[in-house]
Amino acid sequence: MPGLSNTIRELRAGREMTQQELADAVGVTRQTVIAIELDKYSPSLETAFRIARVFGVPLEQVFQYEGKGKK
Amino acid sequence: MGGLSYQERSLWASLVAELVVYLPYFFFHHQNSLNKVAGMIFAIIVLQIILQSIIAAVTRQRITDERDRLIQLHGYRAAYITLATLMVCGLGMLWLHGHTHEGEFLKHGSFFALHFLNVFFGMLVISDIVKTVTQIVAYRRAL
Repeated sequence: MPGLSNTIRELRAGREMTQQELADAVGVTRQTVIAIELDKYSPSLETAFRIARVFGVPLEQVFQYEGKGKK
Repeated sequence: MGGLSYQERSLWASLVAELVVYLPYFFFHHQNSLNKVAGMIFAIIVLQIILQSIIAAVTRQRITDERDRLIQLHGYRAAYITLATLMVCGLGMLWLHGHTHEGEFLKHGSFFALHFLNVFFGMLVISDIVKTVTQIVAYRRAL
């Protein structure tokens, strides 16, 4: 997904968490976690917040938007 | 199959069932008959139940999430576009056929009705296969 990137892989690695464990905690499939990590799929706002909550960090620390647009 | 999700396995099973049942029907049955259409519908239902039951039994995690639903919508959109296009072509063909062979239509009406029933059923089958393939491709591209 152009413009949207994330640090899920790094956050997971820091907590020694597997993709399956993250998927179970968030309530999605492991394939969805893989797709999000690869920036191929942009999660819904609700899922994005759930991911941030699992890691215990603010949303903007997990997802970064670098696309062009009004500020 | 180890890395595939439940949804993907289910889609592959559907594709296999569709190809196993529909392809022989459309390629090897040259005589149109309502019984054969009914037999085909019965066969696809039975085969789907068997395959989906096996997949459900061997798959531990059977959750569906937002991405699955989005991919499902992609599939239905592709199927709708295919069906609408084929329908327009089919109706045009029917109109053209009726226009040029009006006498034959009146003489062999039931034959033509059965023929076009098959044609329209074929359109549904093609759309269904397009839906399944679109969803499989979306999963493979990690959409």
